[in-house]
Amino acid sequence: MIPSQYYLVLSAAVFCIGLFGILTRRNALIFLMSVELMLNAANINFVAFSIQNGNLTGQVFSLFTIALAAAEVAVGIGIILVLYRNFNDVDVTTATTMRW
Amino acid sequence: MAGAFQFAPAIAALPFVSFLIALFGGRFMPKRGAFAGITATGGSLLLSAWMYFAVLSSGEPHLEIVHTFIAVTDPFTLELGILIDQLSALMLLIVSLISFLVFVFSLGYMNDEGETGLPRYYAGLSLFSFSMLAFVMASNLFMAFMFFELVGLCSYLLIGFWFRADAPPSAAKKAFLVTRFGDYFFLVGVVGVLGTFGTSAFAGDGSFPVLAEQVLAGETVGINTFGFDPQTWFTILGLLVLGGVMGKSAQFPLHTWLPDAMEGPTPVSALIHAATMVAAGVYLVARMYGFYALSPTALAIIAFVGGFTALFAATMGVVKREIKQVLAYSTISQYGYMMLALGVGGYVAGVFHLTTHAVFKALLFLGAGAVIVAMHHDEDMWKMGGLKDRLPVTYYTFLAGSLALAGIIPFSGFWSKDEVLFEALLRGMDNPIFFAAYAMALLGVFFTGFYTFRMVFLTFHGEPRTTVAEDPHQFGWNMKFPLVVLGVLATVIGFINMTPIAELTGAHIEFLHVWFEHGGEALTVEHYGALLEQWANYGEVHAGSALVVASGAVSLLFALAGAGAAHVLYNVPNPDEHTDKLGSIKTVLFNNYYQDEYQVWLAEGLTANVARGADTFDQGIIDGAVNSISGVSLSLGDRTRRIQTGDVTNYATLLTAGLVVLLVAVGVLGGWFV
Amino acid sequence: MMIELLLGVCLVGAVAIFLLPDRYSARLSFGISLLPIIGSLYMYATFDGVGNALLEGSTLAFETKVNWLSIGPYELFYHVGLDGVSMPLIVLTTILTTLAILSAWTPIDERQSQFYGLMLLMEASLIGVFAALDFFVWFVFWEAVLIPMYFLIGVWGGPRRKYAAIKFFVYTNVASLVMFVGFFLLVFGLGDSIQTLGLPAIAQALSAPGAVESIAGMPPNTVKAVAFFLMFAGFAVKVPVVPVHTWLPDAHVEAPTPVSVILAGVLLKMGTYALLRFNFTFLPEIAQQYALILVAFAVVSVIYGALLALAQQDLKRIVAYSSVSSMGYVILGLVAFTLYGLGGATFQMISHGLISGLLFLGVGVIYNTTHTRMVGDMSGLADRMPVTAGAIVAGSFAYMGLPLMSGFVAEFLVFSGSFSADFAYAPLLTAIAMFGIVIVAGYYLFAMQRTLFGQFSVSTDYEITRASAHDVVPLVVLIVLIIALGSVPEIVFDMIEGAIRPMTELTATQQADTGSEMLGLGVSFLGGVLL
Repeated sequence: MIPSQYYLVLSAAVFCIGLFGILTRRNALIFLMSVELMLNAANINFVAFSIQNGNLTGQVFSLFTIALAAAEVAVGIGIILVLYRNFNDVDVTTATTMRW
Repeated sequence: MAGAFQFAPAIAALPFVSFLIALFGGRFMPKRGAFAGITATGGSLLLSAWMYFAVLSSGEPHLEIVHTFIAVTDPFTLELGILIDQLSALMLLIVSLISFLVFVFSLGYMNDEGETGLPRYYAGLSLFSFSMLAFVMASNLFMAFMFFELVGLCSYLLIGFWFRADAPPSAAKKAFLVTRFGDYFFLVGVVGVLGTFGTSAFAGDGSFPVLAEQVLAGETVGINTFGFDPQTWFTILGLLVLGGVMGKSAQFPLHTWLPDAMEGPTPVSALIHAATMVAAGVYLVARMYGFYALSPTALAIIAFVGGFTALFAATMGVVKREIKQVLAYSTISQYGYMMLALGVGGYVAGVFHLTTHAVFKALLFLGAGAVIVAMHHDEDMWKMGGLKDRLPVTYYTFLAGSLALAGIIPFSGFWSKDEVLFEALLRGMDNPIFFAAYAMALLGVFFTGFYTFRMVFLTFHGEPRTTVAEDPHQFGWNMKFPLVVLGVLATVIGFINMTPIAELTGAHIEFLHVWFEHGGEALTVEHYGALLEQWANYGEVHAGSALVVASGAVSLLFALAGAGAAHVLYNVPNPDEHTDKLGSIKTVLFNNYYQDEYQVWLAEGLTANVARGADTFDQGIIDGAVNSISGVSLSLGDRTRRIQTGDVTNYATLLTAGLVVLLVAVGVLGGWFV
Repeated sequence: MMIELLLGVCLVGAVAIFLLPDRYSARLSFGISLLPIIGSLYMYATFDGVGNALLEGSTLAFETKVNWLSIGPYELFYHVGLDGVSMPLIVLTTILTTLAILSAWTPIDERQSQFYGLMLLMEASLIGVFAALDFFVWFVFWEAVLIPMYFLIGVWGGPRRKYAAIKFFVYTNVASLVMFVGFFLLVFGLGDSIQTLGLPAIAQALSAPGAVESIAGMPPNTVKAVAFFLMFAGFAVKVPVVPVHTWLPDAHVEAPTPVSVILAGVLLKMGTYALLRFNFTFLPEIAQQYALILVAFAVVSVIYGALLALAQQDLKRIVAYSSVSSMGYVILGLVAFTLYGLGGATFQMISHGLISGLLFLGVGVIYNTTHTRMVGDMSGLADRMPVTAGAIVAGSFAYMGLPLMSGFVAEFLVFSGSFSADFAYAPLLTAIAMFGIVIVAGYYLFAMQRTLFGQFSVSTDYEITRASAHDVVPLVVLIVLIIALGSVPEIVFDMIEGAIRPMTELTATQQADTGSEMLGLGVSFLGGVLL
């Protein structure tokens, strides 16, 4: 059996890639994908601990999360579409009108 | 006769009713409320006369509580009461008589001249009569203060009667403000008297003068002197009350309002600013004389201020052009004589002069009013002249008043002024302060004679100097009647107390002295004499007849000299203004020694600037601090909100940074790295 | 039940007015506001309270006490009731509200239903403040007053209404917070000795020696002193006492006339009423210990407020600043802690409510006609508006303390009370404060001379006509009340005395320590310098 540490390292790596994407990329689609990566990193953790504990709760949770992520993508794509319609661009840094 | 006293409240109540009638119903009445006032003050006059005889027959003062103001017994009760004794009975008679005559005179002066706003005028006069009569009857200092203020209000309203012009409202404001300044001290005095004695009653066993005397005599009566020696504290209280007296009776340095007050209608000047309200101050000193007699310092100040004012005001009267201005300064000067009399222990002399002055000064003002009507409301004496033949009734009555004012034997003013000067001389023989006061007052007699006859000659003698003076406006009985009544009284009223004659002949004709020897035990002139002797070292000086005669002769001589000087200078067909000969003194006199200037400076230059400074301070510093506190929070918020850039990447960075900081913090504190 | 009835009428009336269209609201709200007057006058006539509401041996009039809820260790009650101090204030509130509503008929011409609804809401809150005897209930009403007031200034006010409304709201709300802290410091200091927040229970617990425990290292006496000054600071804003007075002129100038009447007439009295109830009944020994400091505040308020009034050109600002001066007399009377001091202070609350109401109404009538309030913009108005001018003259003289008007009685009692008070230099400090009456006379005489008298002229182009009857009636009613109270003060003072007398027996005279004496003298020298 593969020790949990490997899953955790994988999870941390995926999370960091996602975080890096959020911090550096300006394209909203890539943003959305990075968020998905971070969510999946969490899923991996859930599943890994679930196996380690011999308890299926974590896997159920990750199933929920996947369903939620799907819904979130729908909303996210919708937001990106509106963003494009209003700013003619999907660059997240151009939409700064919602500030003080 | 004892039943008479149950009508005493009506003396004041009648004018109050007429005030209400004139105020609310005056415009519907034929003479706009004049008849209501005449009836009311006539009724008051009759009742006052009745009171006078009631006091004469019973000899006992009448004291009753009419209205309990604050019915708390601890620490003290505030009551409105009536005290009718020899002094107030006499004063009631004077006040109601002059009020009555002034109401009659107003028919001619106001109604016949077609003035508007008469209900207001008669309401004001009635309210004044009410307040003044109530003041006179006041049984305690608290009540006296209340009505003292109310007469001030009436004075304000009546001086400013012609409110559409600019000068009268200004004069009214000044009058109220200057007297208010004096009344401030009076109020402190009243509060102090109540705080000290727990009572402010004038008469009776528990009255404050009696208590004060008992304290000085060493009897323990449990009063609070606030840590002062009793006599010092009584002097302070006396001087505080004196502040109000000096304001109302127009004594130096609070005299400046009275000449301005001449902006009011002339009958008002006669009633309020000559005969009665101005007398309130002097009356108050007489009313609580048992208290002042305990304080030699207060007496000396009263005497000196009185003597100084007598001379000071008389010199200013010498150069005035308007007839009412001359009379105004003369009024200030004459009240100085009364204060002098009271200060030197001449209680009877002071009240005597108060009585005669009320009569002859009211006469002179009403006469001046008649002249003003005749001259179509022009007051400048240099535009008059030669009115003697055209207005004979006015001339002869005015002359009687002038002779009385100047102090020419046998007119009333001579007897009273002579007695004042004689008392001052007696006291002056052993105290230089009093002698200085006497000397000033005596010099004032010369100026009095001079300005009085300057006024008479300029107005009535010589050739008419304008066309109006050649054909003056004639007036009816309603103005002549008061003049005649007062003219006769001004001639004869001095006979009630002819001290020099009594001294010379030994006849018992000092009726006023006898009058004041009766009454409540602590209110008689003997009692005051004893107090003065014991506490103020006013020893009984019995002057010989020679001194009496000499004193009278000297004062008569001064008066005649003044009158003679006026005769030489002004009793010519076409007199010149001789004031230029005075040089720079003339300017000083015309400007009233610059008394107005410094008081206006105090009120407008100093106080207004301080107020503006305070306002700047308030808006700048205090409100500025308030606004800057809100400004600081606003600007802090303004800075902080700039974190909210709208850039999603920034938010993500902040989020991450926050998470890292949190992790590190939890890690460090949680000991992960140990 | 009477108090609940008053509150109910006002609240139901307010809701009804909110819902009805604008055109009925003016007359209907006037009609509704007459009911509380009748009710409160009936209560006044049948008043049977004895003693001071907070102290032992008292019988409250119209008392209701219902267990409400409990928070932590404290049982909260719905507890209302009246004594001789609060009863006259409630009558004052009901009468002034009606007169204010009547005076709003002319100037308020938009959103009437909301305006009159808020007025009735405010009346309810004010009645609640004066009637409540449990801290929780009291505090709810105390804060509830701010809400209608905020909207009344902020919606119907003058050009700078938003600034004024926010300043008023924030200033008084921060003050409430400070007061709240002070109050709970005291409550926690009392520890287990009280299980309620009822004001009588607290007052009686405090009167026991050693009742207050030390908190956070502060000895009991310091706890009391700190609590006293926190509460004083909180209430001082409401009064207002110099130097926390600057919200008042702004609020007055911007508020419409009817709101100014309530603001000056009743709202300021909340502060002094609370000072009387809380500071001076709870902690009389602290009040006496620091009397000189408090007197210094009073003297400075009187003189400084009067001087500020002297410098103003806006008639409303003049009246506003003179309110600061007059409320200084209330503080002076409270600190004196003698029968006439406390009684005079209470009488001054009533009297000042009537007089300042009269003057604000008079200025409002002038403003409605001329559309200006600046002294320099008008003169000789007495020619065209004789009755209004007469009313303003009467109000000004009442303010100056003319005898036979209520202001004189109030001021005289305060002066008498404080002249013989126990604190050091009482006569001298009283005399300094009394000089206020001269300055008051100064600015009112100047203002009257310039606006009412002289040649008629107005710099704004409006037709100057006689005021209509519903503008004049409130003036006349107030003048009659002022003269009635000034001539027969016993009709109110008798009742006040019943509630005040027990307070004067709370004698725990301690000698003022020299530190506070010096500080007090220092501040009063400031007053002397200002003089």
